[in-house]
Amino acid sequence: MLDSDNAAFIQTGVSISLAASGGDRLPSMSRGLGCKLVDGGRQVAIFIKPSQSVELLDNIRRSGRVANVFSLPSSNRTVQLKGLDARILPFEVADLPIIEAHITDFLAEVLPLGLPEEVVRTLFAYTADDLVMVVYTPVAAFSQTPGPKAGEALDAKP
Amino acid sequence: MSIRLETIRECFEGIIPGHIATSDTEGIPNLAYLSQVQFVDNSHVALSYQFFNRTRQNILADSPVRLLLTSHLTAAQYRLTLKYLRTETAGPLFEQMRAKLAGIASHTGMAGVFQLLGSDIYRILAIEQVAGPTVAPPPPPLNYLTALRRATNRLAGCANLEGLLETAIACLVDEFGIEQLMLLMHDEGRGRLYTLASHGYPASGIGSEIPVGAGVIGICARERCPIRIGFMTSEYAYGRSVRASIAADGHGDALESAIPLPGLPEAASQMAVPITAAGRLLGVLYVESLADLHFGYDEEDALVAFAALLGLAMLHHQQADDFEDEPAASEEDSPPTGGPPLAVRHFAANDSIFLDDDYLIKGVAGAILWVLLTDFAERRRTSFTNKGLRVDPRIRLPGVSDNLEARLVLLQRRLEERDTGISLSKTGRGRFTLAVNRPLTLLES
Repeated sequence: MLDSDNAAFIQTGVSISLAASGGDRLPSMSRGLGCKLVDGGRQVAIFIKPSQSVELLDNIRRSGRVANVFSLPSSNRTVQLKGLDARILPFEVADLPIIEAHITDFLAEVLPLGLPEEVVRTLFAYTADDLVMVVYTPVAAFSQTPGPKAGEALDAKP
Repeated sequence: MSIRLETIRECFEGIIPGHIATSDTEGIPNLAYLSQVQFVDNSHVALSYQFFNRTRQNILADSPVRLLLTSHLTAAQYRLTLKYLRTETAGPLFEQMRAKLAGIASHTGMAGVFQLLGSDIYRILAIEQVAGPTVAPPPPPLNYLTALRRATNRLAGCANLEGLLETAIACLVDEFGIEQLMLLMHDEGRGRLYTLASHGYPASGIGSEIPVGAGVIGICARERCPIRIGFMTSEYAYGRSVRASIAADGHGDALESAIPLPGLPEAASQMAVPITAAGRLLGVLYVESLADLHFGYDEEDALVAFAALLGLAMLHHQQADDFEDEPAASEEDSPPTGGPPLAVRHFAANDSIFLDDDYLIKGVAGAILWVLLTDFAERRRTSFTNKGLRVDPRIRLPGVSDNLEARLVLLQRRLEERDTGISLSKTGRGRFTLAVNRPLTLLES
């Protein structure tokens, strides 16, 4: 579903948001602290803080259906992925460098736009015991970069 | 609702874009980024509708809506639960959002892509702060309540319209820390706004005009609501608006174009606030800055409150000046005049006045000056009253809401700026004198 270009893109200094809906259609969302590909690139894993995401994680356990956006502040390039089989896995300490690298990459994106570093670091503050990994198989991918092609499905190119 | 919406409005400016989540009828979630959130009141926000996308389809299919907003000052995050109510495609809210979006579009390289199709209005059902650390916000640049209190006292002490205008400008500079500003009066009959005072520009631009509906100032006047833009955008640059209006104006009662509107060509932040009283638009207060996002919701609140005070005071002084509070002074012989004669030329077609071939003013203010100078030349008359001008058939004031006092202030200031030896000064409520210290040659064209 994801071509190599978009697979690389979602692992750069993008802003990440993950959403899932409850039985009453009310969605909830949280910021992701980073992203990696698993299962040979067939699945996406997003790092989430459970202390901020009680409702989101309940919704994922209930339905497994997620929407996930990635947007690069400097270019507005935006991609949305959808999944139907999301599950929640424990965080592995070996992935801490991915989160640290994501924060570094995100800072490099937003500091030139004038955001104070202290605010960004506070937004991404975490402890290893307050992290989980949400893993899903993308079944649809859309460009949401503002413009005439917004909303178009992304054709998968190997 | 424990968190009041008015206390988290910094999250709305789009410095950290908000996220919006919806669901389709099957419960499949969808996420998108928001370019702006508009504060309506503590129970309502408006979101920009720019594209017919999945979010829009879900909303029209009655999806519940969640927003995730982030403060760029504290890093606090908030989840808001919303219910869609309706879409507005014209009017004050729409124009406020359209102007703001033009700035955001230009700032983010999306000029020509972002276009407001509607303002979607939502009721707020819940606001929840997301768990997590925050930082202390930086101290605000000033305390607007204190500024407003001091300005209120200073405005209350003014004796006439002229003093009120001077004090109002001084308050905006001293109390509110505004560095560039203009005060424009509304000419109801001609659908124009004319600059009566300004601060912070190389040339005052007093007497310059802008049509109602043009640029930030003109749209503020037409919609009678504040218009605020946080980033430079050519779409709302008034130079362009004015040129377009002049081009469309043709001849006849043409826009004042001989006096350029003051203003920062590179203004990033612009805000115009209507001055109204008793249901009438009296004028517009305009402030600007070279800095991005210089004016926020708090600054807007403060200037709207200030403009309300100013409007009531203006109305009071305009009306008070119609009543004389002193007996008419006996006509005194004016001192003899010397020096080279000043040629004063009047063009009856538009009441424009030229002093020694230099343009001074036109319209009602031009007609007034011609009457004053004619009476002076014929009868050495120097004392005049507002009441007398109002019934003078040579002036043709446009009815009750003629802003006569404001037009006299405009004339007085234009004469002062040009330093041509003709001056006006108030001698009491509804009374003023003309002083001429050079011989005049009056020429009617």
